[in-house]
Amino acid sequence: MLAIEYRQDGAVVLAGRLDASQAEAAQAFLDKVQGTVTLDCNGLEYISSAGLGVLLKTQKRLLAAAGKLRLVGLKPHLRDIFTYSGFDQLFEIESAS
Amino acid sequence: MEAILRVTRGLAAPFDLSTMLGEVVSAAKQVLGAERGSVWLYDAAANELVLEVATGIKPIRVPSGTGIVGACARERVIINVPDCYADPRFDPSVDKASGYRTRSLLTLPLVDHKDSLVGVMQVLNKRAGPFDAYDEALATALAAQCAVALQRVRMTAALIEGERMRQALEMARVVQMSTLPTTMPAVPSYDVGAMFEPAELTGGDTYDLALVDERLLVVLGDATGHGIAPALSVTQMHAMLRMAFRLGADLETAFVQVNDRLAETLADDRFITAFIGLLDPATHELTFHSGGQGPVFVYRAATKTFERYKPTSFPLGAMRVTALRPATKVQLLPGDILVLVSDGVYEYENASGEAFGEARVQQLVAKVHAGSMADLVAGLMNDVRTFASSAKQEDDITAVFVKRLPENRRTAEFARHFTAIPELVAFSAGAFAELGIDPSLGPTVDLAVEELFTNMVKYGAGSTAPVGLTLAAIAGGVEVTLVDRDVEPFDITRSPDVDIDAPIEKREPGGLGLHLIRKLAESVTYTYAQERRESRISLRFTGSGRTSGSR
Repeated sequence: MLAIEYRQDGAVVLAGRLDASQAEAAQAFLDKVQGTVTLDCNGLEYISSAGLGVLLKTQKRLLAAAGKLRLVGLKPHLRDIFTYSGFDQLFEIESAS
Repeated sequence: MEAILRVTRGLAAPFDLSTMLGEVVSAAKQVLGAERGSVWLYDAAANELVLEVATGIKPIRVPSGTGIVGACARERVIINVPDCYADPRFDPSVDKASGYRTRSLLTLPLVDHKDSLVGVMQVLNKRAGPFDAYDEALATALAAQCAVALQRVRMTAALIEGERMRQALEMARVVQMSTLPTTMPAVPSYDVGAMFEPAELTGGDTYDLALVDERLLVVLGDATGHGIAPALSVTQMHAMLRMAFRLGADLETAFVQVNDRLAETLADDRFITAFIGLLDPATHELTFHSGGQGPVFVYRAATKTFERYKPTSFPLGAMRVTALRPATKVQLLPGDILVLVSDGVYEYENASGEAFGEARVQQLVAKVHAGSMADLVAGLMNDVRTFASSAKQEDDITAVFVKRLPENRRTAEFARHFTAIPELVAFSAGAFAELGIDPSLGPTVDLAVEELFTNMVKYGAGSTAPVGLTLAAIAGGVEVTLVDRDVEPFDITRSPDVDIDAPIEKREPGGLGLHLIRKLAESVTYTYAQERRESRISLRFTGSGRTSGSR
């Protein structure tokens, strides 16, 4: 399952599994964010192409309005998915320390 | 003395008896100025003296004790007879046989360095009068050399005979080994292993593992004794069984016919204990007769216990079979192992007289049952050697293991809807745990399964059939198969690749899932069955593949 919510500082916290069954809910949430948004991925365990699609659509919308998504805390195995898909070139990614 | 030294050198060379004796006789004649000479060899077994060589005389045997030769052999002293026909001990029969007249005669015992009599040397008819004391001294020196040479020739002959015997045994071993399977038969869902370690060059044990008409023939035989005779018996049984089953005999017929044939040919005190089984790999039913061969164990993987089966008959060849009990039938379940080990293992004693025993065999099987049967064979041999330490192997060691492989796959069907994704994930997690698949491959497999499943949901909307998912454990990883029915073909291996370097405005989510699968899977295969309108996609993931998965 996926949990998605705002942190007090305005960052968006993603936790759990962002798969095709959760993509719709995630998209609905992210459709409302504005400006430069930090996505806290420390609790994200899994992402599929459906999840990548959600992030891509959001990134395109924010970039058009001079905003963007910043990903922080991405786990190494998810970082690989971003690399394989070329998404590391589309997002500013700060890996888990 | 010069003549003696020359003779000594001459005697050092020949290795065969007749050449050597010829040398001795001609040397004696020359040194002593005699007309004839002869060497009688002592045949200890018959207690006879045998005239092997005498110039102009055919071989003659006389009982030890007869005549002057016999007296010399008995008393081991030199006998110098100046006029034979005046001596009551002289036996004229040799002269009669040869037509030669003996006048003077010098007879000497040939005694080897161990003080055993090897023969008697005689020199006949010195040309210049009777033999004198100087002749006796010369002849004694010559006799000593002759005895040593004779002994050496006999030892050489024994060595050559021993070597011939060893070579014959070596050939017998080659023949016996050639009857054993050179490679283990490949049987679907089974793993087999076997070994044969004879105590001597050839052994009284045999085994067989062979596919005969879709069934696996399993044999372990142990003839009484070991060495060449039992080796021939078990090899004969081995060949008869193979032939019987190749000709389509059923188990009972083969058992009875081979038994009765062995009963006719084997010596009365000989027999062969043998397990003869047929395994149907399709039904997993093992049917066997055991002629006195035991214990027969089946390791049950589910309960981690051993079942023991009794022989169904007396040992083969003991007597004719008049009434045979029904064969024993055993249903092999996933992970079960048939354990056949010859008594050379169970009864192998270490230096303190303790036998290897059944418990050690069972403990080993229980410990390494999940591994390959080749490893089990090696492990058993290793355990036996370690246990025996310096104790010599007294009996042949033979073992046959047949394992029904554990189920390596899990299959389930899922509703054609996105909401089934958590069920897919849960199913995979369970299968990974049950099949012992490397958990680090989990996230990669989840991704692949989801990508393919969502494709099937999106593009197979016309179908109401559930989607099948199978996970199978393979060496070092997992094989994932998704089956999509009532759909049009869509070969994912031919779908265009994604340009991952395109700028963001050109990037679309479509095709990304298949792109990721091709990146992550070691292999991707697609097949379509037209009659069922069924797409089948198989992916392999191993730790050595391109996946990096989670850590």
